[in-house]
Amino acid sequence: MRTAIGLISFAVGVFLAFLLQSAFPAVHIIHGARFVFVPLIFCYTAMVLPFPAMLVAALYAGLMSDLMYLHVVGGRVEIALGWSIVFFVIFGCIAQGLQTGVKRGHWWPVIPLSALATSGYLLLQFGMISLRREGFIFDEAGAWRILAPGVLAALFAPLLHMGVQWVLQFFPREQNGVLSY
Amino acid sequence: MKKLNIVLILAVLGIAIYLSTLTPMEMQGLQGRFLSLLSPFLRTGTAVQEQLGSVGAGLKSLDELEADNRKLNEQNRELRTTNNLLRETEAEINRLRLALEYRERSIFRLLPARIIGRDASTWWNTVKINRGFEDGVETDQPVLTDVGLVGKTTTVAKNESIVVLITDETCRVAAKVEGTREQGILSGIRIQDTASVGELQLNFLTKNAVLEAGQKVYTAGVSNGVFPSGILIGTVREFRTRPLDGQAVVDPAVDIALTEDVFVVVGAK
Repeated sequence: MRTAIGLISFAVGVFLAFLLQSAFPAVHIIHGARFVFVPLIFCYTAMVLPFPAMLVAALYAGLMSDLMYLHVVGGRVEIALGWSIVFFVIFGCIAQGLQTGVKRGHWWPVIPLSALATSGYLLLQFGMISLRREGFIFDEAGAWRILAPGVLAALFAPLLHMGVQWVLQFFPREQNGVLSY
Repeated sequence: MKKLNIVLILAVLGIAIYLSTLTPMEMQGLQGRFLSLLSPFLRTGTAVQEQLGSVGAGLKSLDELEADNRKLNEQNRELRTTNNLLRETEAEINRLRLALEYRERSIFRLLPARIIGRDASTWWNTVKINRGFEDGVETDQPVLTDVGLVGKTTTVAKNESIVVLITDETCRVAAKVEGTREQGILSGIRIQDTASVGELQLNFLTKNAVLEAGQKVYTAGVSNGVFPSGILIGTVREFRTRPLDGQAVVDPAVDIALTEDVFVVVGAK
């Protein structure tokens, strides 16, 4: 029951994150970098959910991400469906390794982990695009677009934690055990 | 690690591998159904994005507004003059069209569409329009405005479609330069500067091409190609010579950030 509540909250959270991502325009002062919230929400969830539920979350977040950004031009797919699922499974496994600390109240590892996951996700996308196209072209704007969303995710991580804890105070104690630590 | 967890990981990875083996058409079909489901929510997101964007755009100083006003007045005078000249040209063109039955051969059926979503991804330049297969839109149909070429449709859902813009590196157009015999392949660049209209590159020109800034670039219209001939793409900004060919940097004619209404070329009239 507690896991189901956690998973449903995650599903709604990821859905809202996609809407927010499409609502926020690219930020010109950081070379057109965008807000990317999904890896942050996934990392936070993966640190508190049991392993099988984390895999379900990775499947959901990965499939949604791939369908959202699938780019097919002239019958050629830039990044095939499925790769985001693998990415989220890998980061989910890393997050699961931090669960013991989280249960003791050390929630802060979500900050570097979400920064790493966000920038890693964008870097992997960029790498795959470059392999498909005519080689690697890397400039300052490219670096900003990969690193800045990671920094933004790290800044948003404590806010997400505080938000989740604030919501959990309205739930009965026995139901919020999954997410409160 | 528990055996069950290993089995679950393998199952999830199996699903991922299965998805990656789907054909591009199957993937587009899945994406189309996904977009149809998400469409009402994404449209709300776009409305919010436009509101957020307009907050920054509205914050201009008085000096900037005065400069804008001066510039617009100048443009207005210029356009009035051009308009008068064009009216004469239009009459002449109409006469010639009738004479050559050009109208019958080159006018296309245009489907008006509205941009309902601007690109939300970091690496691709796309927009979403409010027309889908129910309106007769198909994959790989040109999208344009009265000013020039915008791009072409890729994934087509029930009531919306994704349009890849000419500023995207993957959108390639056979193009020719006005007043010359120069033809090449035009595409966007990988990382576009979001503060400007965008930048296009016209490759595979001859090394000794004589191109000047301001020359217009049109679609060349190759056989079995997506884009018909003669659609304005942009103007040449500069010409560079490379070891094997010449490359022109082209400014797009259409500023997609300011565009709300487009047309999809759904066939010949």
